[in-house]
Amino acid sequence: MQHRDADIVIVGGGGAGLRAAIAAAEHAREEGIEQRILMLSKVYPMRSHTVAAEGGAAAVTSEEDTLEAHFEDTVAGSDWLAEQGVVDYFIRHAHRELVQLERWGCPWSRKPDGSIQVRRFGGMKTARTWFAADKTGFHILHTLFQTSLKYPEIERLDEYFVLDVATVEGKVAGVIALQVATGELILLRAKSVILATGGAGRLFQFNTNAGIVTGDGMAMAYRQGAALRDMEFVQYHPTGLPGTGILITEACRGEGGLLLNKDGYRYLQDYGLGPETPLGEPKNKYMELGPRDKLSQAFWQEQKAGRTGKFADNDVVYLDLRHLGKEYLHERLPFICELAQAYINVDPVTEPIPIRPAVHYTMGGIETDAQCETSLKGLYAAGECASVGLHGANRLGSNSLSELLVFGRLAGEQASHRAAATAYADIESLQQQVQDQERQVARLRDADGLESWVGLKREMVQAMEDGCGIYRDEQGMQAALNRIRDLKSRYHNIKLSDRSRIYNTELLQCIELGFGLDIAEATCLAALNRRESRGAHQRLDAGLEQRDDINFLQHSQVFFNADAPAELRWQDVDTRFSAPAVRAYGDAGKGARK
Amino acid sequence: MTTKRLSIQRYLPEQSKTPFWQDFDVPFDDSTSILEALNHIKEDMDGSLSYRWSCRMAICGSCGVMVNGEPKLGCKSFLREYPGTIKIEPLAHFPVQKDLIIDMEIFLEHLAAVQPYLINDSEDSTQTHKQTPAQLAKYLKFSDCINCGLCYSACPQFGLNPEFLGPAALTLAHRYNLDSRDQGKAQRMAQLNREEGVWTCTFVGYCSEVCPKSVDPAAAVNQGKVESAKDLLINLFKR
Amino acid sequence: MAKHVGYFPELKRNWWLKNRYFMAYMAREATVLPLVFFIVCLLAGLYSLLLGPGSWQGWLHFMQNPITIAINLLALGASLFHAATFFTLFPRVMPLRVGGRAIPAKWIILGQWFGVLLVMALFAWVFGRGM
Repeated sequence: MQHRDADIVIVGGGGAGLRAAIAAAEHAREEGIEQRILMLSKVYPMRSHTVAAEGGAAAVTSEEDTLEAHFEDTVAGSDWLAEQGVVDYFIRHAHRELVQLERWGCPWSRKPDGSIQVRRFGGMKTARTWFAADKTGFHILHTLFQTSLKYPEIERLDEYFVLDVATVEGKVAGVIALQVATGELILLRAKSVILATGGAGRLFQFNTNAGIVTGDGMAMAYRQGAALRDMEFVQYHPTGLPGTGILITEACRGEGGLLLNKDGYRYLQDYGLGPETPLGEPKNKYMELGPRDKLSQAFWQEQKAGRTGKFADNDVVYLDLRHLGKEYLHERLPFICELAQAYINVDPVTEPIPIRPAVHYTMGGIETDAQCETSLKGLYAAGECASVGLHGANRLGSNSLSELLVFGRLAGEQASHRAAATAYADIESLQQQVQDQERQVARLRDADGLESWVGLKREMVQAMEDGCGIYRDEQGMQAALNRIRDLKSRYHNIKLSDRSRIYNTELLQCIELGFGLDIAEATCLAALNRRESRGAHQRLDAGLEQRDDINFLQHSQVFFNADAPAELRWQDVDTRFSAPAVRAYGDAGKGARK
Repeated sequence: MTTKRLSIQRYLPEQSKTPFWQDFDVPFDDSTSILEALNHIKEDMDGSLSYRWSCRMAICGSCGVMVNGEPKLGCKSFLREYPGTIKIEPLAHFPVQKDLIIDMEIFLEHLAAVQPYLINDSEDSTQTHKQTPAQLAKYLKFSDCINCGLCYSACPQFGLNPEFLGPAALTLAHRYNLDSRDQGKAQRMAQLNREEGVWTCTFVGYCSEVCPKSVDPAAAVNQGKVESAKDLLINLFKR
Repeated sequence: MAKHVGYFPELKRNWWLKNRYFMAYMAREATVLPLVFFIVCLLAGLYSLLLGPGSWQGWLHFMQNPITIAINLLALGASLFHAATFFTLFPRVMPLRVGGRAIPAKWIILGQWFGVLLVMALFAWVFGRGM
């Protein structure tokens, strides 16, 4: 097996990974030390799912806005399950990061005087979301990627699929990766490793996510002993296109879009988000600008009551943008117009867009401390794969793009700092792990069992959709957990049809499925044991429909147990600044907000 | 359900040095994209078929293929648009690694060659630059490139000479040159002035035709020629 | 780690016949051929003028040959076609802005044709008077 050394290895070339790489390079320069940074990605960095983020990135910007307000919105949005020290750090650093991106050339949308334009977003008290039309993630990713080309100390290994994090006695020692183009394995020894591998939305059948969002990094860290935290909180984005689940940004509602049921009625007023706001006067935290969990739950209720319309086989409600007019739509939401036209043949200028909720974001992830370090020394995580504790039970739209910048940077600096004071692990001590991986890949490649990986994958996404949907109950979650455990055992009896080495994408999909099953188990286990309703985790079971702060103001932590069932523990939440209170929107939230 | 025939150019380097064609009859409806058809083949017919894809919403730039000889994003082309058998090949003008997977390295080298980042002396400032909507509009369209490579498959000059920087890279250079915040134009012109820079372009214009994001690279490259001509002229008098 | 050297399909000589867009491009480039003939005619005319009246008469005779006329008509058509393609491309190469607003391409194209008409009218006026 080949081997290479780098001070810092970054897994994932999306927003968080690129931001971390640049931060590490800058940090090393400031300290006057020479460090090599290797960034591995299973795809070319520009393909990373950050590219698909549309709406914007939040930071306190205008004169009338305050850091306290962003803090309160985020903590209330999280249903008080966010780590408040982390939120505090986040809101203080978000603006600086967005300015930094501007200095690197990000084409933020502007006001006539040339200053930054902000837009409204759901669950936010005031307009504080920076945007680049409705392709914010695309522009952030490309700006970061292009900027990273300035740094010769950042070397990219594109299309390298990381299989495992190498560890020695609870400390990180590098990663083991498969070069997709050759099928060969390589050991990359490192002093610090950053995981920036994104979420796990592909565990579910109907989602807004790219095919690559399979939770690889989460599973790797989990298998090495790090906890997966708050995995039961899976965000359903209220507005995905029927059929594909393609994302229709929340910015549509921020700009004044309406949500209508099949009768043309703005149903959100019946779900604690009213009263109805006048057409063309969107109001923060009211109606369409409520948080995502509440809006997706309202859809589910409407569907139950038979008030949703039909688009092909899908139950849908309607996102009406017509009153915004062609010129405004083409300036502010050009990508939405393009997507609606191309994928469902609807022109938002003249017709409401049929939409339905789709799995969008994994609030949970690899548990890290406030400095992005996992319980494995030297292993950091940032972005959607991490649970640094920012989002709690529900993420607010436009907090995640800012998150990957703020914590990508922090992880990069921390990793660089640590690498400067650490030596490489002894290569001999890694041989066993390397050989294990070689054996496993060989076994999988030549697997000739009875189970089709496609069948298993389809069962997994169905089980997750059935058991861990917008509303959940004991029976459904237990059934999902049982099914996932059954699938895990059947996975050992898998069959592949492609035995080649060069670009064996079937092999990669099988490995991703293996990762996915482990995370799915953790998700079901945490969901089943959270016997309350909070944020995105809503239970139908009698007596569990409300939040229960006495018993469940706690993070769930799931630990991996090889072939035995995973283990669940609970962890206290940092509520140092804001005691849990009633989470209310619309007029009902007035008193709480003052 | 009705089916449609996809004729796909396969290339399995571990089995044979030459490509071959294979037909698949794929069920489809009005909404089925080429990418979905490929996914169907991979999952239900032949697991060895290899291709790149990710976002399936025309923004990541992974899934470019030749569809009946035209460069297309698989996720944004639909079976309903093609009456007969649909011929699928890897993107033209690139070396093929396997099936529909091409070698993108040269494309990335060309991108990196034009210094595609903001060059500005006052980099440490903690304030944003001012940039009016009109200044933004000057370059915004050229910043919409998703790096899918379709324009390289549409460019015969790149096909004849892979050293040509090509539409996407030259567009990116022009995007930064037009940015009111940038001061790096002088550095980038060296690349643009080269023969493999803007001057290899003969304004075939097909690159703009196939661009799935309406970036209009042909316009950018030819505006680059005007800039290059000015630059060369100025340098002539400076001597 | 090096990738394997893949299969690299070479561009064949007839690449431009594979796509109607490339054919249109080659047609545009081929307009130069009849134009070359036209220019050769012009230069030959000048040269025969220098040589004397006999030679000039010969040239006039040659120019009245139906084949010569046909090729020159072709050259006229070709130059108009080339002008049309050039005019269409021009606004993309030199986008014009007035007061921060882009002038629509359509106007620029029309403006160029208007210029052509103007030049033709000027010629007609200058040479028309002498006849």
